[in-house]
Amino acid sequence: MKKTLIKTKHLSKSFSTGGDLQHVLKNIDLELYQGDFTVIMGASGAGKSTLLYALSGMDTPSLGTITFGEKVISDMNQDELSVFRRSHCGFVFQQIYLIEGMSLIENVLAAGLLTGRDKMSLLAKARELFSRVDISEETQKKFPAQISGGEAQRAGIVRALINSPEILFADEPTGALNSKTGLDVLNTLTDFNEQGQSIIMVTHDMRSARRGNRILYLKDGTILGECRLGRWVHGDRERHEKLSSFLSEMGW
Amino acid sequence: MKKQILLTILLLFLAEAAALVFFAFRDMNPPQDAVLINEAVHTIQADWKQIHEHKNPTPLDYVIIDNDGAVLFRTKPGLSESLNAAVIHRDTMLDIQADGQTVGKLLIYNDNSRIFLRQKQNLLFLLTAVTLLQSILCAGYTFYLNHSIVTPFQKLKGFAERIAAGNLDIPLEMDRQNLFGAFTESFDLMRRELKKARQAEARANADKKELVAELSHDIKTPVASIKAVAEVGTALADTDRLRNHYVQIIRKADQINTLITNLFTATMEELERLSVTPLDMESREIRRLLENADYLRRADLPAIPDCVIYVDKLRLQQVFDNIFANSYKYADTPVSLSAFIETGYLIIRMEDYGGGVPPEELPLLKEKFHRGQNAGQLDGAGLGLYISDYFMKEMQGELTLQNGAHGLCVDVHLALSGTFKDYLRIP
Repeated sequence: MKKTLIKTKHLSKSFSTGGDLQHVLKNIDLELYQGDFTVIMGASGAGKSTLLYALSGMDTPSLGTITFGEKVISDMNQDELSVFRRSHCGFVFQQIYLIEGMSLIENVLAAGLLTGRDKMSLLAKARELFSRVDISEETQKKFPAQISGGEAQRAGIVRALINSPEILFADEPTGALNSKTGLDVLNTLTDFNEQGQSIIMVTHDMRSARRGNRILYLKDGTILGECRLGRWVHGDRERHEKLSSFLSEMGW
Repeated sequence: MKKQILLTILLLFLAEAAALVFFAFRDMNPPQDAVLINEAVHTIQADWKQIHEHKNPTPLDYVIIDNDGAVLFRTKPGLSESLNAAVIHRDTMLDIQADGQTVGKLLIYNDNSRIFLRQKQNLLFLLTAVTLLQSILCAGYTFYLNHSIVTPFQKLKGFAERIAAGNLDIPLEMDRQNLFGAFTESFDLMRRELKKARQAEARANADKKELVAELSHDIKTPVASIKAVAEVGTALADTDRLRNHYVQIIRKADQINTLITNLFTATMEELERLSVTPLDMESREIRRLLENADYLRRADLPAIPDCVIYVDKLRLQQVFDNIFANSYKYADTPVSLSAFIETGYLIIRMEDYGGGVPPEELPLLKEKFHRGQNAGQLDGAGLGLYISDYFMKEMQGELTLQNGAHGLCVDVHLALSGTFKDYLRIP
């Protein structure tokens, strides 16, 4: 029995557009489990990113509750949410947002120092994470403008994991990368998940979605279905067919 | 009454203005009291030889100086103590005579500035009081205008929306005291006339339907006889040709039967052409719909769980209107309301205290043209709950009726947005 990390009850999010309320998420009841690589798929405008931002406390829901561990984060104010996010969540976006005037290692350490941790232990942790994503000590000293997109995204993953978050939220992490570097980033995420890191990833890319062990399909602000895939194995044809048939059933 | 209020406010404003004008223009520089001054001079002259033992017999403040300018007496410190200072301060200066000679000067302190300051304070106090009074009057008048004009207009707007939506059951509350009493009365008269016309139309339609039902039954009977005779004929026919004729008659009889059934069904299904367009809506909006429906304020609004529901707001308003109207008509008691979420629905439970209906009648309440045993002489066409049930089904919801602890209990099941779709789970 897997431990529940995040639980939502009637989670709804509405935006006001010209006086009309646009209901982007509707009554979502969802449980996300520790150790899972959950993938949220769906067409553009289905509410994927809105759901990710609500689950991670980056945005507050209009209605309903979100419980993260034992804490009801939907009741928290912005200050409480910001402290909570820093210590419990890691984020990887399509745009990597590394600070241009700082080296990669400084970028990573800055994220860690915000939580008030000791610099030496942070440095050790950063070195270990960098070695796991295959970024050399020499590259760590480079500035964002001097490295490739794939290296930047892997550095972004290191930054997201420096505070040992309970869950890593990824919003189209390979969206801005070419095929080869995108694959490196997916391999990195899969590797961290195999070591026990819980991940939630939003994507509309089938190749990225295959890495997940639980695929949720979102349509018109509601979860239409889910598909459980086993552990990722390279070249697993059956897995690919199962996912394709699920997506086709969902009207993908 | 309205003119009196306006006149009172106007008079109060004028009184305030008059008070301010009076205060602003009244003489703030009273003349010196010559009697007091004379008394002071005479006392000083009498005391001149022992001027140090002189006692001020008046409320005036003054200083006495000799011809050399030396101060011999002062009523209090801080007064003008030389001729020059007295001139600058506009004090009153008088000679002191003794033995026919001028021996000194009396400098009477000019306290006009103190009087001026007191006047200023009084004026400020008056202005504050006047402003406060005016604010209270304006607030009171705004409240009165809101009560007598804005609120009746809002009621009238809601009323017009209901009429436009075809809901003619809810009367427009009238208050002859407000400015629009007679106006609202004529609107309600229009509603009553429209309702009568609608009921007459519904009765006529119902009559037509009954006629069609009777006719179809009447036609089906001879057709059945024709078919039975033809079947006997088929069995007794000597030749294939004759048998084929009989079979043809049986087929055509069946065809007529089907056509009559279709005609009957089509008439009965006419009602289902009412359009229902459900959309997503936040559950908190239900409070307003319930408030609108309960125009006699027989129920306390319940706490409604937050969620997004899939409803046609206009049709849902009609459903609530119908349930409240039925409760007013048949039970005439307070209504208890509650709201909770259960298996994909937000349920609004509405129960009156009228003792309910006989159990055998419960399944019939939503039937078309059915009227309960307690309907008596009360007007109605027996369509309200049938149409409400139809609306709820079109909104992916449901309307259920049962006898509760105190009376008839109606559960309005509102579908939660998104949850009514079939969830596909691939393990």
